[in-house]
Order: sequence, then C-alpha cells, then structure tokens
Amino acid sequence: MAQTYSGVRESKPGRVNDYGGESIKTAEAFKKGCLKRADRSFAQGLQCQQINSMSALMSLEDAVFIAHSPQGCVGCTSLAVDMYRVGQAHRGVKHIKNPHIIVTNLDQKSVIFGGENKLRDSVNLAIERYNPKLIFVFASCASGIIGDDIDAICSDIQKEVEALIIPIHCEGFKSKICASGFDAAFISIQKYILKDTKLPKDENLVNLFAPVSISYADQVEMERMLGLLGIKTNYIPFYSNLEKIKQIPAAAASTSICKVFADEFMKTLEEKYDIPYSHTVMPIGIRNTDKWFRGIAKVMGKEKEAEEIIAREHERVQPLVDKIKARLQGKRVFICGGTGRSFAAAALIDDFGMKLVGLETPTYDDDAQVDIEYLNGIHGDYVVDIANMQPFEQVNLVKKLKPDVFIGVPEWAAKLGIPTTHVLDMKRPTMGYDGLIFLGNKIADQLSNPGFNVKLSKHVRLPYKDSWYDEDAFKYIVGGEENV
Amino acid sequence: MSEILENPRGGCVLAGINSVLGAIYRVCPILHSGPGCCMQTCAAEQGQSGNKSSAFVSSVSIPSTNMLEREVVFGGIKKLKTTIQGAIDIMDADAFFVLTGCTAGIIGDDIVSAVSEYQDKGYKVYPIETPGFAGDSNLGYEVIWNAFIDQVIKKDVPRDEKLVNIFGIVPYHDPFWSGNLEEISRILRGLGLKVNTFFTEHQGIETIENCSGAALNIIVNPWLFGGPAKKFEEKFGVPSIRYPGLPIGATDTGRFVRQVAEALKLDEKLVNDFLEKEEDYVYSYLAQSIGALSWKRFAVVGDSASAVGITRYLANDYSFTPKLVIISEPVFGQSNKERIEKEITDLEYAVPPKVVFTADQFEINRTLAEEEDITLIVGSSNEREAASLKGVQCIAATFPLKDRLIFNRAIAGYRGSLTLTEDLYDNL
Repeated sequence: MAQTYSGVRESKPGRVNDYGGESIKTAEAFKKGCLKRADRSFAQGLQCQQINSMSALMSLEDAVFIAHSPQGCVGCTSLAVDMYRVGQAHRGVKHIKNPHIIVTNLDQKSVIFGGENKLRDSVNLAIERYNPKLIFVFASCASGIIGDDIDAICSDIQKEVEALIIPIHCEGFKSKICASGFDAAFISIQKYILKDTKLPKDENLVNLFAPVSISYADQVEMERMLGLLGIKTNYIPFYSNLEKIKQIPAAAASTSICKVFADEFMKTLEEKYDIPYSHTVMPIGIRNTDKWFRGIAKVMGKEKEAEEIIAREHERVQPLVDKIKARLQGKRVFICGGTGRSFAAAALIDDFGMKLVGLETPTYDDDAQVDIEYLNGIHGDYVVDIANMQPFEQVNLVKKLKPDVFIGVPEWAAKLGIPTTHVLDMKRPTMGYDGLIFLGNKIADQLSNPGFNVKLSKHVRLPYKDSWYDEDAFKYIVGGEENV
Repeated sequence: MSEILENPRGGCVLAGINSVLGAIYRVCPILHSGPGCCMQTCAAEQGQSGNKSSAFVSSVSIPSTNMLEREVVFGGIKKLKTTIQGAIDIMDADAFFVLTGCTAGIIGDDIVSAVSEYQDKGYKVYPIETPGFAGDSNLGYEVIWNAFIDQVIKKDVPRDEKLVNIFGIVPYHDPFWSGNLEEISRILRGLGLKVNTFFTEHQGIETIENCSGAALNIIVNPWLFGGPAKKFEEKFGVPSIRYPGLPIGATDTGRFVRQVAEALKLDEKLVNDFLEKEEDYVYSYLAQSIGALSWKRFAVVGDSASAVGITRYLANDYSFTPKLVIISEPVFGQSNKERIEKEITDLEYAVPPKVVFTADQFEINRTLAEEEDITLIVGSSNEREAASLKGVQCIAATFPLKDRLIFNRAIAGYRGSLTLTEDLYDNL
C-alpha cells in the first residue's frame, strides 16, 4: 500500500490553489508541469476544513457532534443545521429535530492548561444525555495549536464506554482546501468504524456518497437512476446512520455525487475491501449525467443497460432541453463554484449552447485538467481563476468580461447588475436528467427577467474602489513565478 | 471561563465584533486568523439573524490572512502587512479594524506594532486583540465598544444637549436590531432628540468618532455595556441610563420614554402629548382585533433583553399568562441576574413566571418539556423541536432565527408590539 494519506489535499503533488490566466495556456502549462504552487499576498476569507468535516456528518442519526474548540468554531454548523431541518421536512419527518452539537468551549484557561478535562466532560455529557451510538470529536485550530492529543484522550475514554468515540483531525490551519475536511472525516470513519472488517458482498449494492449540499429531490433522482439499473443504493453519510456506514464494505461498488467528496475514501475502499469505484463528475447537465451514470454502470458491468436507459432519457428530456436552448443559445457565462459544481455547471451550459467566458474554481489538479481540456475544446479560450471565492477577483473579472449571465453565489455579481443564477441549490433539484430541466428553466427565466439585479446595481455599491476594476485581477497572486 | 454548551447561540468574541463592524456603514474588518474564521463568525451571528448579512463585507468577502501551518510556526505578521496593504489599496472603506483569531492569539503575533505602520501613514486602521477563545459574542459587543472608546471616539467634541447614543441592542445577535433601532429612533425623535444608533441610516465611523458629544447614553439591555458605559463617562463625561430590557408595547415603551425624559429633563407637556398620540395609535389597532388571538399560557426562550420585553408585553399588555422564561445566554454577575429576574417577575397583574438561566439546548428542551401547562412558546428556531413535540404553537422571535427572513421588522416600541402581535396570530 502507498503511504498513508494525511487528509490534507495540498499533500498531493501538482495541486494549485492560487492562480489566474487564460485557459488554453493554463492547460498547456499544467501539462508541462509548469503550474507552480503560489499564494495570495492579499486575500479574503476562506472556508476552513472543519466546516466541511462537521457538515458532512451532521445529519447522522444517533450521533453527538463535539467541537473541541471555542464557541465560534460551530458558527457554520448553522448552515448544516438548517439543511438537516429542511431535509427532514422534505423527507416527511413530523417532529423536526435539531442535531446535538456540543462545544467544549475552550477558553483562556484551556489555552494555558490544555482542554482535556473539557473534552472528557463533554463526552460524558453526550453519553449521559443521549446515549448515542456515535460521538464525533472535531479538532480546531485552537485545540491543535495548544497540543491537545484528542486521539489519546478519545482512545482512553473509549475503554470505558459503548458509544464509538471518533476523533477527526480537521484543524483549520492545516489546509487551505476545505474539501480536506471531507477526507479527514472519512479517514476517521475507516479508522474507527470500519476498521478493515470485511463483509459478505451484496452484488447489487452501491455506496453513493453524498455531502450536505444535496437536496432530497436530487437524492430521489440519483436513486431513481440507479434503480433503473437494478442497483440498490446505500446513500451515505448524509441522512444515514451507523448501520448504513457499517454496510459500506458490503457494497459491490462505490460512487460519489461530488468530485471532491469521498474520492480519496473510495480509493481506500478499493485497496482495503476490494470495492471498485467510479470517480467521474457531478451529474449536472446531460453530458455529466451521462458520464456519471456510465461510470457507475461500467463498474457494475451494466453498460449495455445503461446505454439503453441513457438513450431513453435523452429521448425524454432532449425536446425539453432544446426548448431551453432556444432561449439561451450563444449567451456568455461566467461560472464560480466549488470544485464539483463549477465544472459541472461549465459542462451544463454546453447543453444549452452557451459560451463560457470565465471560470472560477478552488483547485487545479489532474482532475481539473481533464475538465479544462474538455471545456477548452468547446469554448476555446476563457479566463480561469483558481480561487476559493475571492470575490474581489471575481467582480474585477466579471466587470471586465461583461457576461450575459453569472452562475454561482449571486451576492456580488448581482450588485453589478448581471443576471445571476446558482447551481448550488441545496433545497431544490439540480441533478440528473430531471434536475437539468429545472436548472435550465431557472437560468433562462432569470436571464430573461433581470430587473431585480439591474435595479439593485443602481442603488448598491460593492465595497471596492473604482480603481480596483482597472487593475489586473490576479495582481495579488504571488510566487510560483514560472507560471505563465 | 466558558461553559460546555449544547447548540450554543451565536459565536465567539470575534463573531460579536464582526457583527458590530458589519452593521456600521463602510467599515471593513481585516481578520488575522485561521482560514475559516470569516465564515464561521458571520455564520454564527449574521447567518442566524433572519437570513440577512452585512452588505458591505461579510463572510468570504472579509479580508483575511487565512493563517496556515507556515504562519502558525513562523508567525503571520508578514502576511498581515501585505493583507492590510491590499485592503487599503482596493477596499473603499472609511476605516479598517484588524482583528485576531485564536491562531494569532495563541502564537502571540504583535498586531499593534504591525498596524502602527499604517496609522503612521495616516490610515484609519485600528488593532483589536480578539482571540475567539476569550469569550462569546456578547463579550465581543463590549470589547469593540471599549476599543472604540480607547482608539476611535474623539475627545472634546462639543456637547449637543439633544443628542443621545443608543447602546445594548447588539446587531445581528438581535435579529430585529435594525427595525428595533429604527422604532426606538422614531420614538426618541418624537421627543425632539437626535439619535445615534450607529447601525441604521448608514451611520458610519464619523458618527462613532463624534458620539462623545451626546448628552446621554441610553442602554437598552438588562446587563450588557456596564463596563464600556463607565469608561465612556470617565473619558467623555457622558452619563448613562439603563432601560433593563427591550421596551415592547405601550406600557413599557411609556416607561422607557419617561425614563429618558427624566434624565434629559424634557418638557412634560411634550412628553405627555407624545405618549398620548402613540398610545392612541397602538390601541386603535388593538381595538380592531379583540379576541382574535386565543388566550395562551406561554413560555419565552431568548436573550435577556428580548425575554424581558416579550414576557412583559404579553403579560402586562396582552393578558396572556406567563409560565416560564428561559434566559438562553450566559449571564455573568449575580446582580445582573437579579435585575433580569426582577423585570420578568415584577408584573402588573399576572402571577410571576418561573425564570431559568441556561444557554444549553438540552437544558432548555428539558425545562420546556417539564412545563406542562404551556400552549405557546416564543423562542428561537431552535425551540421548534420542543414545541413540535409538545404540540404547542411556536413563534420564532429570538436569536437564532434561521427559518425567517427579517429586514426592518421590529418587535420593540409601539409599532413593534403590533408586529409581534400579528406574528402571534395562528388561526388554529
């Protein structure tokens, strides 16, 4: 086996998080190994990996989530909590529950004397209150820097208790790439729950890994599609439980809804449990949905059936897609999103005959190269901004490129008066053949009725100086001098 | 000393400071912190405050050093300086505040000297040491005002006898802060006063710089802002009065108005005429829907200011029956707790409700579950679960509010009490 993966995404060679340039040159440079790691001398805030670790697991039943941190580090759970509640409503749950999040509330004293006692007390409290099956302990910047050994503390507590105590190393300062937090969560699931225990195979069972950002409508669509192939789905870890996680090794294959979710974990599952996997794209748009579906069908030896289904689905949705295409053909698009969504959206717009002028995505690596080359083939040159949000760069580019529509977090482009729409709608359909139609209509409607943004832009200013828009958007990207 | 908490309400000290800065027009925080603190602090407060957030900068638009392992080991001052320089170059802000997260706090980066370089060049950049582990967002509210008093507010501003400063309503930590401040301003202007809310009508850093010229500080909160108020008086000679809660409805708002009038020795006729007009306004509406709301035995769960205001309004003015009040924020100091308890239990006609202090969701749920008689819970979005299990009405009207959109809706004052009453209508 290769060297154990640390969970820090930067540890993979060739991965770049700070870069900006023209797409064709970028792809060439990456191919030649000339795209070097850089940094931003000025940047705006990022999403830390702890946010991802917590959100990935927050909907598990019978679990308590302990943040070994000051109170502030559970701030972003407000988003996951909302998703958990809305998800229950969508699933018809009558009494909608809050997840149980306990913060050890590290303070001045803990910073000096360590937070071990607070962690022990929190675990005891969790057991006393809920007697849960799972207790996750999330590290933080503070717990990491003061040197609390959460592994040792958890393993010591574990001797006395029945609940599984699972420490997760998601210290924020360890990674610039928030998706590292997903890896940290899965590494702990393997280490503390699965523990190399092999199970008899269920030849029809597929692990479908889904993060918090997948709507129930999308879950239903994914399960419907896999169902057409006669596949049973183990939908994890979102809205699942310990039993479903323990079933992971019994699956015949694995796939994921998101490119950066469980991708490393699926490799581990192959190595340790002989579970083959399909790692393709996010199933948004016809091309990507086909690709995603073919990927898992191939691993399951159901390629022929898949082709028949794809043909049938195309026949069903193509007329609807054509109608939307007639409204969107030739429109120029700027896209900003997470790794999975940005590339998926970029592929999607081709279904509607739109033209890509700018793409913002958090990470450039081998995986991204495949997509960029594909997009270069369709759209020719466009601007690539390797950034996790960084709205100051985004608005600079958007103002210069003047796209007809912006796809991504709408907050900033909207203030420039550009029609905006989003492919990260965690509560409504986005994926598969059905999601495509919903999404296409959404884009077309928002593009044809842009009044809100147009009027907003006349009254609201973005927080940047006028002079900023005349500067090079990538002015603050430093280092990696060999970059083109 | 911070307690272990289940589902804590709001963020750390840094989050509280960010909320205040986010509510001031054209002010830009710069975070010297780990990569997630911008998002975490905003999601903790703004993100749970009725789904609106600072339009200037918030979350991932806040400049940040995003400290990684390298900065943890070697220090992050170099990164901080290029970040401050970048912010000055491109952000169209009137003032910048450099704040520290846990990471910078623990490794001990000297932000004061780093910032002084830019101050020497004439930029309005202020350092505040604010590691998250120092406390919660309430503390953040006091820390930022102490910093304003120490570093920003000017001395020797000419006194304006008609000018008052409003403190104690914490932006975003009160989801109705905007509307509440607007209503309180409207009331005070009705008395002929000029009002610094600091957070509405695009009041900016200039308002803060010159607020030492006020005749009176009015603290609208049962316990926050004691320290800063003392410091404010010592440094600038501006006295403070405290209205111990959020004034909601005709009775309490009248009490609030009289307290202000007395402190400023306002003309009695002016005050009485104003009260008469406002009370007539409220009662002309209440008279139109008598009996529309069924009688309720209620529990309130919220921060002390909201809990005091809501309980007193529903009990004194609306004749609902108060049974239980849970103060869901950590309150420090026995005298503070006593003041809160007194406000809640000193009612006109109603039998005083039970008062419980706990910020822990498990304890809150358990206390609610044990209270058999209630038919209404006025709480946060977190209380929907307990209300659902009990099968009683639930109005989400305190922090955190995640399942409502709140712009300028008020629950304070005269008009706010009518909106709150509208929200109580259930048609069940």
